[in-house]
Amino acid sequence: MEQLISRFEQAAQHPLEGARQWKAETGRRVIGSFPMHFPGELAHAAGALPLLLQEGDEPITAGLSSMFPFYCGYTRSIVDQAMKGEYDFLDAIMFGDHCVQLLGAADAIRCNRPETRILFNQLISSMNAPWAMEQARETFRQLQRELEEVIGTAITAESLTASIKIFNRNRVLIRRLYDMRRAGKLALSSAQLQHIVKSSMVMDKETHTALLEQLLDEIAAKPAPRVGGVPIYLSGHLCQPPKLALLDLIENCGAVVVGDDLYHGYRYIASDVEETGDPIEALAAWYLTRNRKVPCPTRSDAGADWDAFLVQAVNKCKAQGVIILMAKFCEPHMYYYPEIKEAFEKHGISHLLVETEHESMPLEQFKTRIETFLEIIKRRAAA
Amino acid sequence: MQSIDTPAPPNVMPPAKKTANRLAATKVGGQIVHDYWSDLFNAKDDGRKVVWYNGTYIPPMFQTMDLAWVHGEAWSAYLAAKHGELPAQKAGEDRGYVRELCSYARTHIGSALLDLRAAVDKAAVDPTDARALTTSKLPPPDMLVNAYPYCSSGQQWDQQIFRLFGKKIPIFNLSIPLLWGGRADAGYLRGSEWEERSKYVARQLRELAAFLEEHTGRKFEYDRLSEVMSYIKKSAELRMEAMDLCTAKPSPASYFDWIVSIAHVNFLPGTQRIVDYFELVKAEIQERIAQGVGAVPNEKYRLFFDGMMNWNKIGWLAEKFAAVNASVVAGRYTHMSFWQEPQLIDLADPIMGMAQNYLICPNNHGAPIMIGEIDRVCDKFDIDGVVLHASRTCRGMTNSQFQIADSAKKHGRQAMTFEGDVVDESFYKDELLNTRLEAMLESMDSRRNYFAKSA
Repeated sequence: MEQLISRFEQAAQHPLEGARQWKAETGRRVIGSFPMHFPGELAHAAGALPLLLQEGDEPITAGLSSMFPFYCGYTRSIVDQAMKGEYDFLDAIMFGDHCVQLLGAADAIRCNRPETRILFNQLISSMNAPWAMEQARETFRQLQRELEEVIGTAITAESLTASIKIFNRNRVLIRRLYDMRRAGKLALSSAQLQHIVKSSMVMDKETHTALLEQLLDEIAAKPAPRVGGVPIYLSGHLCQPPKLALLDLIENCGAVVVGDDLYHGYRYIASDVEETGDPIEALAAWYLTRNRKVPCPTRSDAGADWDAFLVQAVNKCKAQGVIILMAKFCEPHMYYYPEIKEAFEKHGISHLLVETEHESMPLEQFKTRIETFLEIIKRRAAA
Repeated sequence: MQSIDTPAPPNVMPPAKKTANRLAATKVGGQIVHDYWSDLFNAKDDGRKVVWYNGTYIPPMFQTMDLAWVHGEAWSAYLAAKHGELPAQKAGEDRGYVRELCSYARTHIGSALLDLRAAVDKAAVDPTDARALTTSKLPPPDMLVNAYPYCSSGQQWDQQIFRLFGKKIPIFNLSIPLLWGGRADAGYLRGSEWEERSKYVARQLRELAAFLEEHTGRKFEYDRLSEVMSYIKKSAELRMEAMDLCTAKPSPASYFDWIVSIAHVNFLPGTQRIVDYFELVKAEIQERIAQGVGAVPNEKYRLFFDGMMNWNKIGWLAEKFAAVNASVVAGRYTHMSFWQEPQLIDLADPIMGMAQNYLICPNNHGAPIMIGEIDRVCDKFDIDGVVLHASRTCRGMTNSQFQIADSAKKHGRQAMTFEGDVVDESFYKDELLNTRLEAMLESMDSRRNYFAKSA
């Protein structure tokens, strides 16, 4: 198992190297993409590798000349990597999220790297609009046309449906790990689970699925239930993954993570795409309905309640507390934090807000806060 | 005026004596704004339904239905300009809104929280606190409309308002997609993207009319919309003509005169009164040109202001620049927004022209086209330097500012950035502005000296 985890870790820690190697070996195209809402299935159906662009670990240097420091770490890191030429090997980057900071990043990259091929497709963010389905469908059709042109391969309904099945299979397998974790039957750490999800965002999907199948077989052959600790739910961190050192710290302080709604976690694999009917229609429906599975604060949706979802999720996995991981300057998260906090208070759920930054990681301070938080939970449980 | 060979060291502290020669007409404008808010505070007593909205200038749609309306941004700016924003901001902070969040939103949401608190307990508003009393005058909404070009924060802000009122108030979200400008035929007011987006927004405006009909029980009269738009269009034409007159040297009006005249084309009702106001403004400008009078008495430098206004600091900044003989002649927020293309509006059927003016909110263009327009405005007004206000919590306006500065320098203009915010005064860094402004003006002097000696 260690060997398999190491493969996932290697891919997750070095996504650009992996993609470069894949390109060299296959001679096929690599399409970068902003995170959160765009399905990779379309690029995959054209034979390309969809690569979700990841926040780097490097300090922001070149990017300082294009982005203010009061932007989220992900945005600044993406611009920084682009300006250092890290994305030059990509055949195109798919931009177009609704987030104002990401839009700024897209323009900074366009201005600084004019040779970068950019596909711009903005999905409707107002999910309840009567024309939302039509708009989502049209956005995906436009993206399909642009990808066909860049990659030089037609995306047929058959090829897209095949890709949807491949992606669904991958999500189903990762969800099995999540089910096991919730049931206390998985001994993987949060960092290891992050390696698995993050590598799925950047690796060839079929290769990743094959590794996952092996992993699940090995886990089935040698079941290792999790060892005790305070069961904790992790919430937040949308575009970028929490730093591994922070995840390790949380567990080393005596917590055991039993569930999460992180994008580099359950949010990414929460819902599947219909495998029958018109595949573009299916992707549009997936986009509009997945928000009900794990509500996203970047979308406007009267039928989605992140706070209610969290209360339910926390109870379902029997977590005794929630650590909210908020990436500094992430506006959608800042908007929703007060009502999440109120919902937790109303339901007697212990919670701790930890604000994270790209540049600094005050681990000692976090350690004190997390230890105190876990101590409070233990005392409450004992009372 | 100082000789360019012997530049006086710029003194960037605002002088005790006022230097900025603000347009007298703006006092009339101030009264119109005051009357609007007074009228709004009485809307419920008059039996009018109230719409809270954010984003672009859609009030003609509400005026057509005889509704009262609150522009969230304008309300936050109003409180800040009157230095009454703190109770609302504190209410937001008490609930847990982080300080790095859009301060417009924090102030408006905080104001809604005070409203809700007062609705439950009248004693929650301290009768001796004038600022809290002002905040609590805002009538609560019967409808919500979100119409934000470009900025995702704007839509999330209205979602918070919607949720704060228990998801019981009908909400309409108008999607105004970005004009990215990536297609081969893209350009300012042209190209297939422009055509598609124009139709999309126009179609949604008709849906908005239906939404207003549904929630008022009244018919949306398009003839009435045309009438309202006739005043808006005329006012917009007069405003643009008056702005164009400021190519004169010295500039007869400044950016700060235009800032205090934004409400009139942003959210005030379309009536003869605003037409009269802009006629007055234009006439005063013409008179000043005839007499050679400038907005800054000894205009030596002509500047362009980029970024959102720092609403707590209008007078302060006007004086600061005037004190060093710098006339801020134009700006992105004032000159590239608010019905700046009135000729697009066909009064026989104004919807399409309205949609197009909403789309060209300057942020809503991808950087290359937006920066091209900024450079065009700078050329037109013979601008020496660009001052960029890096408004801490308004990323919609700080996006692309590095590229704007780069372009300014390529065009032979100086550029400087200062830090502040839209309505959270605590982010404003006066000393930073002083130092950088001084350095920029010295650079301009050096450059002028160099060219004067070379000539």
